[in-house]
Amino acid sequence: MSIRVNPELRNQLIQYGIGDWNACYHCGTCTAMCPLSEEGFLFPRKKIRLMQMGLEAQLESSVEPWLCYYCGDCTKTCPRDANPGELMMSLRRYLTSRYDWTGLSKKFYTSETWEIGFILFFAVMVVLSFLVILPSFGFRFTTELTAQGGVKVNSFAPIHIVEKFDWTMAIIVASLLISNILRMYYKIIWKSGQEKVSLFVHIREFWLLIFNFAVQPKFSKCDDKNYWISHWFLMSGYTIMFIVIVVYLPWFQTEKILPIYNLQRLLGYYATFGLLFGLLVAIIGRARREDVKFRFSHVSDWLFLFMLTSTVVTGILIHIFRINGMAYATYIAYIAHMAVLVPMILIEVPFSKWSHLAYRPFAVYFTQLKKYAIPR
Amino acid sequence: MKNIEQTGIFFYNSPELIPDSLDYTELATYAQGYKNVSKIWNYNDFPWNEENILKKIESYHLERLVIAGALPGSLKTLFSKAMAIAGKDPQDVILASFNAYGIYSKKDIERAKAILACAILDIPYEIAALPDEASVNPATLVIGGGIAGIQAALEIANGNNLVYLVEKTGTIGGKMATFDKTFPTLDCAACILTPKMVEVNQNTHIKLMSYCEVKEINGQAGNFSVKILKKARKVNVSTCIGCGTCSEKCPAQAPSEFDSGTTMRKAIYIPFPQAVPNKYLIDAESCIYIKNGKCKACIKACPVPDCINLDEKDQDVTIEVGNIIVATGYQPFDSKRMEQYGYGKYPNVLNSLEFERILNASGPTGGNIHFRSQDKKGNWIFNTESEKPERIAIIHCVGSRDKNYNKYCSRVCCMYSLKFSHLILDKLPEAEVFEYFIDMRSFGKGYEEFYERIKEEGVSIIRGKTAKVEQKNDKLLIRGEDILKAEIIENEVDMVILSVGLEPGEDTAKLSAMLGIPVSEGGWFEEANYNTDATGTFRGGIMLAGTCQGPKDIPDAVAQGSAAAARVIRNILRGKVNLDIDKIPLRAIEQRIKELSTIQ
Repeated sequence: MSIRVNPELRNQLIQYGIGDWNACYHCGTCTAMCPLSEEGFLFPRKKIRLMQMGLEAQLESSVEPWLCYYCGDCTKTCPRDANPGELMMSLRRYLTSRYDWTGLSKKFYTSETWEIGFILFFAVMVVLSFLVILPSFGFRFTTELTAQGGVKVNSFAPIHIVEKFDWTMAIIVASLLISNILRMYYKIIWKSGQEKVSLFVHIREFWLLIFNFAVQPKFSKCDDKNYWISHWFLMSGYTIMFIVIVVYLPWFQTEKILPIYNLQRLLGYYATFGLLFGLLVAIIGRARREDVKFRFSHVSDWLFLFMLTSTVVTGILIHIFRINGMAYATYIAYIAHMAVLVPMILIEVPFSKWSHLAYRPFAVYFTQLKKYAIPR
Repeated sequence: MKNIEQTGIFFYNSPELIPDSLDYTELATYAQGYKNVSKIWNYNDFPWNEENILKKIESYHLERLVIAGALPGSLKTLFSKAMAIAGKDPQDVILASFNAYGIYSKKDIERAKAILACAILDIPYEIAALPDEASVNPATLVIGGGIAGIQAALEIANGNNLVYLVEKTGTIGGKMATFDKTFPTLDCAACILTPKMVEVNQNTHIKLMSYCEVKEINGQAGNFSVKILKKARKVNVSTCIGCGTCSEKCPAQAPSEFDSGTTMRKAIYIPFPQAVPNKYLIDAESCIYIKNGKCKACIKACPVPDCINLDEKDQDVTIEVGNIIVATGYQPFDSKRMEQYGYGKYPNVLNSLEFERILNASGPTGGNIHFRSQDKKGNWIFNTESEKPERIAIIHCVGSRDKNYNKYCSRVCCMYSLKFSHLILDKLPEAEVFEYFIDMRSFGKGYEEFYERIKEEGVSIIRGKTAKVEQKNDKLLIRGEDILKAEIIENEVDMVILSVGLEPGEDTAKLSAMLGIPVSEGGWFEEANYNTDATGTFRGGIMLAGTCQGPKDIPDAVAQGSAAAARVIRNILRGKVNLDIDKIPLRAIEQRIKELSTIQ
């Protein structure tokens, strides 16, 4: 098999992050320092080598960048300031753009105009739907309150329409993500030239995927456990909220104000707490730039944090305004909520930072499959 | 006289190259004062390629080009080619190289202007900036009594000139005296050095001032007046017979500097048996009498009356000299700074100077390799009672080639590490030795051959620096990547030796201010010209020798000692010495160029 060399690879990669990766003189400190690097799946040094040599195909079929949880030990001890940790981060962005067949991911990562433009486009579409399209079907902003004194949300944003919209969006996002995961599988497992893995192993090891999605045990092996905890809260909060909103919306978006100990409210409060806690840690970390993992922020990192925080804050506001009977405030908060939520889901999940929710657990699963594929 | 030659100036001021750069606008304004300068460009004005330069030459009818910048040398070919294509003389491309004359910062703008002026009027800077001369005092001061200082002092003194050799510690010999063998010849270090040390003591032209420090330097080249602090030795050097009775009776102990802390010495001590001068001295910090006012055990034991004076105070001595050689050497990198290797935490992680003493027949174990073990009181000591290690790892580049500590390569560590491997196998033929390296630098005469020899001796040479050392039961666990195999290797060994790099001596900054010699990146004394004058400095009459100028091995340090001595002897024979090169005013240089130049 001939090997294709792309001499421009380093210049292409530098658009996805910051690092003086050519400075590496291959002492191996980073790999030996890494608590997650293991036999057969060594990183970061091997990845730096591939990058320096311009071996694009080998880099594209690497699963290792997804196994790194960026504790920053490699960057701290690197004798050349080559910033291997940030290379792994940049490779994750690069791989995301490579798995994506639409080409949009690459555009979003390498051009702020494209990313912000798309976000604004979807935001405007959402606002227009609420201000023009829904009213034209007879749904009104009413200041009339329920018997409990709550706002009549469902007359403004009718539950059956919002639910249909939710499902449509979920299906679009899921099909994009699944097609990308198939491409990831093709690159990492199918094209690797290794022995094929039996279907039985595929099924037997599938539990790893779910387990890693729910717990992220690898992240906990990274030096600072606090980040694993805060990330877990963020992740669990988000997952609960997502399931509730897509699958159980009629149960969740009610006009009736339920007692505070009702499961509906408890789940909502837990999710809000989890999200806020995780977000706060990340925002403070990125603003202080003291920890290596937060030192270099890509535009997409800040945009993601901004959108998720706005979604949570507007969500809280909807809740407060609704139960206090502040009709117009509720409507404005609701529109704002949807105006950040919709672009966030449509852009971040299939094309950008948030796609890691799928790629990371799948990478662990694929790594396990590869272990069976390696001829002994 | 030639006609006015149209000269174009190109400032090689790319911001990537020189972060703390000179004020190029000021330089441009200055250059415009010369009639033959027709146009000035900055690096960012247009892309510097053959085609563009050719265009500029043709459209401005340039006859001569000046490329000015920190290090513009690499561009000369490009510009010469453009000149040749344009049909002009390719020789008329003149470099104004600021770094070559030691200009690194904004404050040297006046000298930068002088260099630029020389290039504009095509006069070599060396000729234009010829410093003034002064008569020279034939006495010489050598600061530092290591191998470089000893060599320089002997060369000068053997030419029948007076030398003051000032040494900070109680003995001359420096770091080399502590080594066991030298690479690549495996000569016994002491056997080479001690005869030279004795020669220093016996040469009537050398005034050895041990346990002294330079305190103040006044005057100028040719006539320095140097104030020297004569630290209280508390033992009379002229009457002490070196019998050692005082040391036997002394109750106070301190770690031995000579043995890198692997043994203990008394408060009244002789650094090592072959010390020069072979006289005792008292370390005030550990002496009980000096702390409490009670003891005097040494005085009671001393057979010579009035030899020991515990109340002796430091004195100042002033000497007059014409030339100064700085040979202050280096200090080893403090391995405690690299916590991942566990130095200071695990008893059997040693640095290289400690291991030199272990290998040395006069060291704590008589030249046998033993573990550091605990004595009855619980102190970690070296003695011959403990077991011998079976697996020893040597880690290269500790504190060198690492942007977190020192960026530079310390030059000697690869070779002394290979020497260690050889000596370990010599003493423990059954042992397994592992060398963890990044790049093997065996660049000198006979060095590569030595490397090949060590490889054949069966040492495991692993490419890949170690990430960390951890204690695991009785063993030390080394984790590193073998980058050639691309495998993580976890190796259990008994002893780890850290090949520490070289750092400038602790007094370098103080001396730098005193002497008026700048230090370059890394903290080493800055030479006048890296390529052509590595022993000279910008100060007239002050020369550098040995590792104070940059990391180097023994042969190079000795060679530089001789070179510095040659410069001193030249000055003495001529009877005149050049004054400071950077003190000549710009106006004087301008005047001289105008007189010399054929260009108007």
